Amino acid sequence: MLLKDKNIIITGCARGIGNIILETFAANGANIWACARTKTDAFEARAYDLSGKYEVEIWPVYFDLADHDQLKNAAKSITSSKRTVDVLVNNAGITFNAVFLMTPMTKVQEVFDVNFFSPFLFTQYIAKTMIRQKKGSIINIASSAGIDGNAGRSVYGASKAAVICTTKAMAAELGEFGIRANAIAPGITQTTMITSMTDKVIQDTILQTDMKRIGNPLDIANTALFLASDKSSYITGQVLRVDGGM
Amino acid sequence: MEGQELLVQGKNAVITGCLKGIGRSTLDLFARNGANVWACCQYETPEFLAYTKELAAANNVWITPLYFDFLDPEQIKTAAHAIRDTKQPVDILVNIAGMTQDALFHMTTMDQMKKVFEVNFFSQMLLTQYITRNMVRHKSGSVINISSISAIDGNPGQLSYTASKAAIIGATKTLSAELAASGIRVNAIAPGVIKTDMTEKMPGETMAQLMAKSDLKRMGSPEEVAEVILFLASDLSSYITGQVIRVDGGIG
Repeated sequence: MLLKDKNIIITGCARGIGNIILETFAANGANIWACARTKTDAFEARAYDLSGKYEVEIWPVYFDLADHDQLKNAAKSITSSKRTVDVLVNNAGITFNAVFLMTPMTKVQEVFDVNFFSPFLFTQYIAKTMIRQKKGSIINIASSAGIDGNAGRSVYGASKAAVICTTKAMAAELGEFGIRANAIAPGITQTTMITSMTDKVIQDTILQTDMKRIGNPLDIANTALFLASDKSSYITGQVLRVDGGM
Repeated sequence: MEGQELLVQGKNAVITGCLKGIGRSTLDLFARNGANVWACCQYETPEFLAYTKELAAANNVWITPLYFDFLDPEQIKTAAHAIRDTKQPVDILVNIAGMTQDALFHMTTMDQMKKVFEVNFFSQMLLTQYITRNMVRHKSGSVINISSISAIDGNPGQLSYTASKAAIIGATKTLSAELAASGIRVNAIAPGVIKTDMTEKMPGETMAQLMAKSDLKRMGSPEEVAEVILFLASDLSSYITGQVIRVDGGIG
């Protein structure tokens, strides 16, 4: 139980990597503000089941990341709970896969809104609480695309490169308050986000990994678990590639 | 899904440099997390022997001390064969043993440089060859090498050390590519300024500069490095290979 009694915010919990981070963290004893865009019966049931199964508290928080008012209210509802906020996992994100010449500026704006501007703003709100606490761990889910710059992923990669850069700046600024900030750069991971990639591109990418396999969300969740726990206490300002050796 | 408890339970690990510093902390942490260990260091001391017996008993694992000098390939071979002859699978190899011989470049003799490379690089590779043959046979394993932030950033007065640690990084990535097909992951850790005998002699000015650059504004403990080694040895890092993880409180 690596996260016993920690209170943790996770965005993008409804599916994909966020859904598995949610379960992994619950299984390790964390209480969780489970953020998702829309309230559904399925998500409410999921939160309820995990809470019962692992004997932790799970508080669903619903807001659209792209709506700054909703985001502000959500952050307020969390920070005004007077609970310690130990960890923030900025996981929610979208992609737009297209070649550079066929990427309209509206899509560039949309991807940056969800992947960069909103988590930036959200982290500002949460970091204020962490500073008062003099402790915290911020985990940003970036991407190997943010480091490598792959064909067909220019805007997604750029938004994740921005996340990586701010992660390092946050680490430098918040370190004196006992707050760590790190990023995880998944490679190709089995989620609905890659359904817009062709089979050929996916296979070619897998061939580029040492391990010759696609990642699964649990691989990412376990690295997030490590960064959320006290076991990573001397790691900050880093980008951990979880990519099977690309 | 279960919560994580003993991260390397039932695994067999070879750890070098166990006498003190990061190696000692790693031995301690691995035993407490359920691993059996071939605890390697240069020579036996009564304290070390007693410590390994106590640690093993307290954690219900076996710890076999092995003594050899990294300057002697014959001793490395003998130790590797002793491990092989137990017929036990080796799941984890942690190459921690290392030395430094600080001097400015123009005051560094080739003999000094060769000695540092012998201990920090060539012998590490030799031991790794032996142990990974075992790992290839049972198609799984995790190798963790210790590099240094100085290998990435450079460090005046430590040319031999930084260059030998940079060699470790190149080898780590190559080994990851070669051994992945056999189910073996290979990663490196680049510790920053860690409170051990090796940093005790660090000049005050260098220390001040590095602390100013760090985000956390403090040295790390050997335990904090051991935790990252444990992570890389465990299944939590099952999709991580070929990486160099800086454990440096945010110096770089």
